[in-house]
Amino acid sequence: MYSIDLQSRTPIYEQLYKKIVELIMKKELKPNDQIPSVRILAKDIGVNPNTVSKAYQQLEHDGIIYSLAGRGSFVAKIDKSSIKEKAFTNFDTAVTEAVNVEITIVELIERLNKREGEQR
Amino acid sequence: MIELKGLTKRFDDFVALDNIDLTIPEGTAFGLLGSNGAGKSTILRILSGIYKQEAGDAHIDGEPIFDNVSVKEKVFFINDETIQFSRFTLIELKDFYKRFYPKFSEEIFEKLKNTIKLPSDKRIDQFSKGMKRQAVVIIGLSCQTDYLLLDEAFDGLDPTMRIIVKRMLVDAMLDRKLTTIISSHNLKEINEVCDTVALMHKGKIIFNRDLDSVKGNIHKVQAAFAIDYDKDAFSDLEVLHYERNQSLTYLIIKGDEEEIKSKLNIKKPLVLDIIPLTLEEIFIYEMEGLGYDCTEIN
Repeated sequence: MYSIDLQSRTPIYEQLYKKIVELIMKKELKPNDQIPSVRILAKDIGVNPNTVSKAYQQLEHDGIIYSLAGRGSFVAKIDKSSIKEKAFTNFDTAVTEAVNVEITIVELIERLNKREGEQR
Repeated sequence: MIELKGLTKRFDDFVALDNIDLTIPEGTAFGLLGSNGAGKSTILRILSGIYKQEAGDAHIDGEPIFDNVSVKEKVFFINDETIQFSRFTLIELKDFYKRFYPKFSEEIFEKLKNTIKLPSDKRIDQFSKGMKRQAVVIIGLSCQTDYLLLDEAFDGLDPTMRIIVKRMLVDAMLDRKLTTIISSHNLKEINEVCDTVALMHKGKIIFNRDLDSVKGNIHKVQAAFAIDYDKDAFSDLEVLHYERNQSLTYLIIKGDEEEIKSKLNIKKPLVLDIIPLTLEEIFIYEMEGLGYDCTEIN
C-alpha cells in the first residue's frame, strides 16, 4: 500500500508525501484512519526513519495528518481546496509550457472539451 | 556528537586527511562518499581510535578518542580486517568483544545468530568471506554502541542480510539515537539509508549536506530551443556539463530549480524538462568537476 520506487529520482520523503496524499484522494485512507508509525514504515520500505519523519512532519504541517502523543499519526479531515490549489498551479505550468511550443489556448480548450466528453 | 577540527593525517609524504572540519550530530545516518584513496577509511580509523592524527582534534561526545576507553566503548567499527585472521569460533569471538562493550546484548546476538544460521563451533578463519562479514556485523549490532561505523560493510552483504541490518539500524536510531557512518560505493544503498552525505576527494571534504538538499541543488535539463545556443549562452547559470545531440540540449546545472527554470524560460524553450539527478550521477558530475573524469576513458 505504501510502496514507493527506491530507484526513482524523486526524493524518498517527497514520494512518501505524495503517496499518502494519493491514498487519501483515492479514499483508501479515510479521515481519522491511523497511518503506520515511523518505525514500521521505515522498516517495511527499508529506509532511514528520519526520512519517514520528515515526510510525516511535512504532512502534519500541511494539515493532511495529525498526531496524538503516544498513539500515532492519523489522517486529518482535509480541506481539499489546498490540494486543488496545488493541482491548479501544476496546470498553469503545463499551460505555459504548451504556449511555449505554440499550442494556442483555443486548442487547449478543445482538448479540455474532448476530455469532458470522455468523462461523461 | 562527532566533532573533527583541523584534522590532519599523513602517511610519510602522503596526506591522507588534509585539515578536515566535520560535525556529525547524534542520530544521523551519515554517508561518506569518495573515490578510492579519498580518505574515507582513514577518518573511520581515527574515529574508532586505531589511528592517531598528526594535527587537529577528533572528539566524540566532547572527549578525545585516541587511547580513551570510555569513548571507544561507545564506538564499533565494522570493516573487513576486524576478524580476518581470528582463530576463535564465533562464540569465543563474541565473548572477547563482550569484555570491551558493556552494553552487549546476548539476546540480540542469539536472535541474529539463529536468523543467519552461522555455525558456533567452527573457527572464524575457516569461514567464507561472506560469513566473516556476517559474523562481524552481528557482533557489531549486538554491542549496542551509540556509534556504528561501517566501512564498505554493506557492499558485501547479501540482500537478506542487508534488510536485517537496515531494520536493526531503524530500531537503534529510534531507540538510542544511534549515529552511523557508512562508507560505501553502493550509492543506491546510501540514498536509502543515509540522511546526510559528504563527498571526499584527496583528503578533503568537498561538500557535506543533507541528502535532500544535495539532490535539490543539482539538476539535469533536457531542452530544445528555436536557436542553436552554445555553452557560453548559459553563462548566467552554473553549468557543470553541456552536451548537444541534434536539436536537444542536455545540461547539468547547479542551483535552485525555480531559478534555473526562470532563466531558461527567457530563451523560450520549445521543450524544457528539469529532472533531479540520482546520487550516482551527482557523484560522477562532481568528480568530473574535480578532474576525476571517467569520460576520458572510453
